[in-house]
Parts: sequence; structure tokens; C-alpha cells
Amino acid sequence: MWRLAWRNLWRQKARSLVTASAVALVVLSTLLFFGLAEAMKNGMFQVLTERAGHLVVTRAGADEAREFDAHLIREAARVEAALREVAGEGELAVLLEVPVLASGGSRSRGIQLVGLRQTPGLERQFAQDYLSAGRLPDPDSLDEIVLGEALARALRVDVGEVVYIFAPGTEGLGAGAYTLVGLLDFPEAALEGRTAYVSLAAAQELAAPEAATRFQLHLPDLHRITDEDRLEQVRDRLAQPLGPELHVKTWREAEPGLATLLDLVDPIMLVFNGLGFVLAGLLVVNTVYLSLAERIREFGVIIALGADRWRVMRMVISESLVLVLTGTAVGTALGLGLIARLAQGFRFPNALTEYTVEFGIPAVMYAGLTTGQLVITILFAVGTALAAALWPAWVAGRLQPVEAMRHVT
Amino acid sequence: MEPILQAKGVTKIYTTGGIQTPALQGVDLTIQKGEFTAIAGPSGSGKSTLLHLLGGLDRPTAGETWLGDRRTDQLDAVALAHVRLWEIGFVFQAYNLIPVLTALENAAFVLELQGRPRREREAKAMAALEALDMAAYAHRRPNQLSGGQQQRVAIARALAAEPQVILADEPTANLDSQTGRALIELMKRLNQEQGVTFVFSTHDPRLLEHVTRIVRLEDGRVVRDERGPGA
Ligand SMILES: Nc1ncnc2c1ncn2[C@@H]1O[C@H](COP(=O)(O)OP(=O)(O)O)[C@@H](O)[C@H]1O
Ligand SMILES: [Mg+2]
Repeated sequence: MWRLAWRNLWRQKARSLVTASAVALVVLSTLLFFGLAEAMKNGMFQVLTERAGHLVVTRAGADEAREFDAHLIREAARVEAALREVAGEGELAVLLEVPVLASGGSRSRGIQLVGLRQTPGLERQFAQDYLSAGRLPDPDSLDEIVLGEALARALRVDVGEVVYIFAPGTEGLGAGAYTLVGLLDFPEAALEGRTAYVSLAAAQELAAPEAATRFQLHLPDLHRITDEDRLEQVRDRLAQPLGPELHVKTWREAEPGLATLLDLVDPIMLVFNGLGFVLAGLLVVNTVYLSLAERIREFGVIIALGADRWRVMRMVISESLVLVLTGTAVGTALGLGLIARLAQGFRFPNALTEYTVEFGIPAVMYAGLTTGQLVITILFAVGTALAAALWPAWVAGRLQPVEAMRHVT
Repeated sequence: MEPILQAKGVTKIYTTGGIQTPALQGVDLTIQKGEFTAIAGPSGSGKSTLLHLLGGLDRPTAGETWLGDRRTDQLDAVALAHVRLWEIGFVFQAYNLIPVLTALENAAFVLELQGRPRREREAKAMAALEALDMAAYAHRRPNQLSGGQQQRVAIARALAAEPQVILADEPTANLDSQTGRALIELMKRLNQEQGVTFVFSTHDPRLLEHVTRIVRLEDGRVVRDERGPGA
């Protein structure tokens, strides 16, 4: 039966080849899209969590509150100890974010001052990613500051000069003078224009002794967006020791917008790839139907010899399957080969990288393909073969032997 | 006497585009086991129609058709296909063979439809080809065979499945008279040596010298039913 299907397809070599190639192309592009989407998702996840952590601890209700007070976590040291216990070999950043007025002599601006203390690995990464001039403030220093490049330009200050910070109405000193020791280059222009960093100790002295507003926990070996379960386990383990005053969120909960966007990638890809299969399916319908139409008399003889409706329908369907699966095999082989190469790491052309980085996509990405995606692609192909054969099979199944044998082509 | 095929008062009227063509009008006919029968008559006399109805390829407008002691004119399409597959062999005038299959594969085709295992299929198909002196051409495709050879493969295909009866609708129509006569002689030999029941139709009176029975049709009626010279 398969042999018959195969030979009948060979009968119209060119037509079958074109159709099988189209299927191969769609399968190839589907796998490639999946592979690239996976690379993009994991890349965005990586960039996002590198900066914001896998888990974030804030004061409960802080998101809705406007007052500075409502954000404060008073016993920062106790929380930090609890986090360290759970984090194991993970890394930790403690932040105290204060809305302040920054002034560089003649100009001033409302900005976000971040007091930051982070474990060495994070600090190194931070410097490598964002530091464009000078150095980061010394963790123990109370009078060093770094500014976003754009902010430094706006305030007209340079490395070595003094920046004044005013935080009126807070619980600390409320004002201070800091030496600019370095500049930061953020991909996001807006962030660069309104962010400054000092040591955690300096921020606490300025605005809130012994307090923090945010803890960011980075778990070791969590590189894939799909490692959701582990993350939620850690989150639930933290809820108890931290108490109801504090709120532990996964990156997903902390960045719901981006998380939704990343979750949308798969369904969008599915629809997009589905369209490809619909187009290829139309070609398959055409090929299978023509193959039937050219052989009505032959089908008549086959039915006369005793093939019943179901057998005839199976013959048509198996032709469609052979056609589509041949294309699928070729497309899969090419696709897997290509993805295996891209899995070693790839980058967009330099001209594009500038823009992709702006969207939080890293310069070097790693393609990947899950078994599920491969299975879905093959299911799509089989589904296409069956759907395409439906109508021709129905036509063939209704042929009457005497009429079919009298058919004039 | 053991009747294999029977038509009882069979009438067939074709309706195409509102025009009714009576192809058979009240035909009574019984084919006995082991007979070598020719349905003779001019073109348009209803030979094909009669064979189609006897073979379960179509249903009569009125009357009954029987296979052995089973009535077949009321069966549905799937049941009829089953009867054709297991009980009846067919040879048609032309476009008989599947072009992408070799002679052997064609001869094995009905056995394959029956779902028999490969070894059995090939053994029986090969034996049938041998019986028709076609073993040497087993691996040729139909387009590499002459018209007479193709018809012999078609007979081998019918024979291989060991049906109760083989119906052949003008099997010689596309052959020259000498090849046609040889084909009928071959059928006669199978009839005598293996006891295969044959019913074939022809409009060529010269092909009737071997038959045991001649049923003459004219305008859809049996006008004569006589013993042939081969009886
Ligand atoms: N499917 C059909 N539709 C309409 N008329 C048909 C059909 N088949 C046969 N006929 C008509 O029925 C008559 C008998 O045809 P047929 O059985 O083929 O005769 P024969 O085989 O003896 O030439 C002819 O007039 C033919 O035109
Ligand atoms: Mg005829």
C-alpha cells in the first residue's frame, strides 16, 4: 500500500517534488522559528533576571504605595540573613531606592538614588555590563556616587566632581555631597537619565538607617525560562521566615508585562507556523486531488476488484502521508542540523544588535528546541497530510465502479 | 448442477440527464459451476451491463441477482465490495492493470486487498502467471507488455485469488483476432484443467468456437441460449 502510494507519487515526479519541497520548507522554517524564539526567550529571561534577580523581596503593598515610608523594610539585616540561608550558593543584592533631588552645581533633577550592596559575582557582572567610565562606589564608602551617563550630562558633572543629593522628609541626614567616581551606560535611555548609585551604607545614612526597599535573589544554575517549579518552591520556602509584612515575588510576578510577552511567544509562533502548514496543505490537496483525478479509471478497476470505500480512502490518505512525511523528514533533518549549529551561539548582524539590546535581547543567543516543539511540528505535518487528504479521500470513497471505469479523462 | 450466478427478471434502466436508456429488460439467466459461457451480441446489446449486475458492480432497476444461494441485488456498497473481493474475479476490456505495479504485483493485487501475507501472495500470483505462460514477464511493468500479455496478467490476477467465477467483459476487444483467439483458448484450458467457471462477453462471433454455452443478447433481451461448439 505504501509502495503503491510511493510509486504513484513518482509518476508525477516534478509535481510531487515541488509539493514535498514546500512541506520540507515549512517544516524547516517552523523548527527554525521555534529554535530562534526559544533563543530569544531564554536570552530575554537571562538579561532580565541578571539585572533584577530570580526572586524579589519587597514590602507587602509597596507596589501600590506612593510614600517612601511604605516601601521600607526596617530590619534589613534579619531579612538578609534569612535569604542567605535559602539562597545557598546564590547571589544577593540589597537595594535601598530613594527618590531624591540630585544637583550638580547649577542644575538639578529629580532622580532615583539606589543604595546597592551586592555579592561579588553580581558586582563584577554589573560593572562589566554597565560601567562605562571610572569605577563603582566602594561598598564601605559613604561619599561616592555613580551616575547614568545621560544624567551626568544633564547635571553637567564629570568624574571627580561633586554631586549634591537632597532627600527631604526622610529619616536620615536628608542631604549629602558625593564625589562622582564613575559613569553607567544603560541600554535604556530613560533609565540612564534618572538613576544614580551609591553604596547601601551611604543611602541608609542619607535616608533610612538599617532599612532596604528591595532584595534580589539570584539562584545558581537557573538559566532557562522553563525552570519555573524550582523558583516557586524557593519562593514558598521563603514566605514563612519572612512573615506577612514582606512579599516574595518571582521575576514573573515582578515583571508581569514581560512575563506575559514571553508567554505569548509560543502561541504566536504556533499560529504563525500553523499558517505555513495551511499554505503547504493547499499544495498537498492540489497534488493529491490531481493524482486522484488522473486515475479515476484506475480507481474504478481497483474498486471493481473489491476494494471497499474505506480501503480506497486509505489509499488516498497514504499518498498524502507519504508525500508530506517525505518532505517532513527532509525538513526535520535540515532544521535539526541548523539548530544544532545555532545552539552553539549566534549573533544578529552588528547593525541589528544595537536595537535588539535595547529590547533586552542579548547580543549572543543560543538556539534551542524542546522535544515538545519537535513533536508539535511533526503533529502539524501529519495533521496537514490528513486534512489535505480529507476531501480527495471523500471523493474517491464515493466513486461508483462502473461509472469510474467509463470515466473519460 | 450447481448454480453460481443467477439473474431473475433483471431490468436495468440508465437515467442520464432525464433520458432513460433501457439496457436490460427482464433477463433470466443461470450460470452453472464449471461452465464456459459466452455472452454474445452486438455493441449496445447490454452485455457489459449484464456482467456488471451479475458481478455485483451495480444494482438492477428491477429483478434479482444471486451469487450461489445469496441474493446480492440488495446488498450495500461495502458488502458488495466484499462479495467481489472474495468470490468473483474480473477481467475488463482495457485499463485493467495498475501501471506502477509489475506483472507479479498486479497478479498479487487482489490477494493483497484480501490482506493475505506476502509469501502466500507471491507464491499464488507466480503460480497464476505460470498457468498463463507469463512467468518470464513477472517483473515487467504493464507498459512493457503487449496488449495480449497484459490481458493474460489480468486473468492471472483474477485466477490467483481462486474465485468461484471469473467474469470477463470483452477481454479481447483491444486485441487482434489471432491474439484474441489465443486468449480465449487459454481461458478454455484453465476451465478444463482447473475447473474455473468463466463468463465472458464478445461481439465477435469468430471467438465462439470453444465455448460450451452461448447466450445471445439483443436490445437488452436474451434472444437465444444454446450449447456452443466446444460443448
Ligand atoms: N452508465 C450508463 N449510463 C447511460 N447509459 C448506459 C450506461 N451504460 C450503458 N448504457 C447504455 O446501455 C446500453 C447497453 O450498454 P452495454 O451494457 O454497455 O452494452 P454492450 O456492452 O453490449 O455494448 C447501451 O445503449 C448503452 O449506451
Ligand atoms: Mg460492453
